[in-house]
Amino acid sequence: MIEAKPQTNVMTGADIVLSSLEREGVEVIFGYPGGANLPIYQRLPEHPALRHVLVRHEQGAAHMADGYARATGKPGVVFATSGPGALNLVTGLATAFMDSVPMVAITGQVNTSVVGRDAFQESDVIGCTLPVTKHNYLVTRVEDLAPCIRKAFHLATTGRPGPVLVDVCKDVQQASGIFDYPDELTMPGYRPALEADLSAIGLVAGKLAEAERPVILVGHGVLLSGAEAELLELAEKTGIPVGTTLLGIGAFPTEHPLSLHMTGFMGTGWCLRAVQNADLLMMVGMRVDDRVTAKLDEWAPRAETFIHVDIDHSEMGKNVRPHIEVVADAKRALQALLPLAEPGPASRRTWLTQIEAWREEHPLRYRRSNGHLQPQDVLLEMYRRCRSEAIVVADVGQNQIWAALWWRYRRPGLFINSGGAGTMGFALPAALGAKVGRPDKAVWCVAGEGGFVMTAQEMSVAIEQNLDVKVVLLNNFSLGMVRQFQDDFYGGVRSHVDLRVMPDFMKLAEAYGWHSARVARAEDIGAAFDAAERTPGPFLIDFQIDPEANVYPIVPLGKGLDHFQEEPYDI
Amino acid sequence: MTSNRVRVLSLVVEDDPGVLERVASQIRRRGINIQSLTVGPVGGGRSRMTVTVDAGHAEVDQVAKQVDKLIEVIEVHDITDDPIVSRELVVARVDVPEHARETFLSRLSSFGGRVVDALNGSLVVEVSAAPDQVEGFLSLLRPYGLSELARSGPVAMRKSAYGSSHK
Repeated sequence: MIEAKPQTNVMTGADIVLSSLEREGVEVIFGYPGGANLPIYQRLPEHPALRHVLVRHEQGAAHMADGYARATGKPGVVFATSGPGALNLVTGLATAFMDSVPMVAITGQVNTSVVGRDAFQESDVIGCTLPVTKHNYLVTRVEDLAPCIRKAFHLATTGRPGPVLVDVCKDVQQASGIFDYPDELTMPGYRPALEADLSAIGLVAGKLAEAERPVILVGHGVLLSGAEAELLELAEKTGIPVGTTLLGIGAFPTEHPLSLHMTGFMGTGWCLRAVQNADLLMMVGMRVDDRVTAKLDEWAPRAETFIHVDIDHSEMGKNVRPHIEVVADAKRALQALLPLAEPGPASRRTWLTQIEAWREEHPLRYRRSNGHLQPQDVLLEMYRRCRSEAIVVADVGQNQIWAALWWRYRRPGLFINSGGAGTMGFALPAALGAKVGRPDKAVWCVAGEGGFVMTAQEMSVAIEQNLDVKVVLLNNFSLGMVRQFQDDFYGGVRSHVDLRVMPDFMKLAEAYGWHSARVARAEDIGAAFDAAERTPGPFLIDFQIDPEANVYPIVPLGKGLDHFQEEPYDI
Repeated sequence: MTSNRVRVLSLVVEDDPGVLERVASQIRRRGINIQSLTVGPVGGGRSRMTVTVDAGHAEVDQVAKQVDKLIEVIEVHDITDDPIVSRELVVARVDVPEHARETFLSRLSSFGGRVVDALNGSLVVEVSAAPDQVEGFLSLLRPYGLSELARSGPVAMRKSAYGSSHK
């Protein structure tokens, strides 16, 4: 018997792109039209299931898609045109790539007949994005379009997630082809599921059970795989304290007695003491990069056992050679480990008591007595209003580390920031993307004035899309982190860090149609937050903070974690 | 030329445009110098690459893992320490005077080489040899001018087959 062939579906390449996105369940696209993607934009109104957010600069589109992806766990989707449009995505792609964020960017390219001939608005987008994407495709034949988009989503969302770019020639968008979205994919070089190796889990459980001074460190992988509950259960079952990387913040409740909070060269004193004295370190879903280890030779000198759990085989031994490797998604690894986990030896109590003593000896602290508004006062109030619920998106610099260190959640939460790439200007668009994806959640955006003006044009998107995002601007009239580094590590030469000539942020807010407030005194913090929370729609608070406020603890550049410096006491 | 820092990687890749650039870029990123790279289709939409790099074992182990991570790379093996068959093709132009020709040709054939073109005393010769014999072959040629030289770089294969790659 001959089965009836399904009716062939002839359509243009542009419709194939859009129909493929529908098949992938895409709900929103962050994009910008231009010459080489106009065929797609011409057909976009015929696909009403696809909401399009018009950005004001393509970098904003990439960061919005990034924030959307981190807030929802779904891949963020970006459109841009050829040449400058696509090149403007590069920083955003690199940001997502460094932090393993699933994203699919679809860029227009010039006609196949002129590719490589320096046509108008042509650039080698495949070459330019090759090192900052998980993979990329140039599509020059309409029949390759649907398979490439299918592969792009598969690659972006499986294994270690990351951004994938599909560069589609304009004539391919205009050509007609048969839309046949493939179920099966042939990718002989990509088999992430086969890479998983849980064979060492029994060994891991044994080592955890006998360790006297164990520490678990966790990174973004725990959040990406949704392993927060397993992590909490493991910590409680074994009594092992947990520290997080900057990107791992939110994976473990900081209000938990086993929390070491943040590790790394700006981590908490008690966490660094614990890492430096641990006899066993289990690292889960993290790259163990230089910001985590500081001077590598001096990192965790007393550790006899390093266990590394990561989905990416190439992370094993890249920076720290582990004794035990578990190549697996954090959730799968922790699920396999849980039934085998047991409380450790009695000496574990002494270890926890010791950590308690370090916590009292090295608490987070800050100056309050110099008459200036302190960023920590602002953030403590913000976090009180977050009620362990809100999504917090931070930019890069002092604001980021302050927001990370003063994060205090009773349960897992979402702290979104550009940890790997350290991209200034990330926060506002990422916060807007997060709000698009999670309209049910309050979204707070913490930024310095330096980073904020790098992408401030996206404020229009908040108005146009009715996105209720609250910006906490920590305005210290300088590039604070750079200024701090110059003061402490570069001979005290303050070179080009002064940002006193900046827009009046209340007028800027008004120009974009936002509401705003300005706070220069600690006693006005509460009223400004009240106004922000009371006012529907986007709101900016210009907190004019102590221009000399610094980030502490900090490990001097080139030194080991033992050398962390703390805020001098003045209270 | 061969030092114990030189490692040989054998790759099977999908035969797509740009895959060479991806592999080369991944190695370049780690600051490792590629000494030679050969690539050729092996059927079934796949190509084999033999990459000789100037780097230590640990560095190459890491690079091999990162290369293996590339989507279009199907297999990667560091075959430096394995029993391998490795051959390099050398094509060279030499000027051999009439009186020296007989001696030259007999030494050429002792290397398994042959003359592929001859014009007015200028000979184009070729040899396919294991990389450690190439230097000996070149020293035979040098007295005759060696006015042009082209080397393929080694292509290599393990003597016994692999089950599958570690990916």
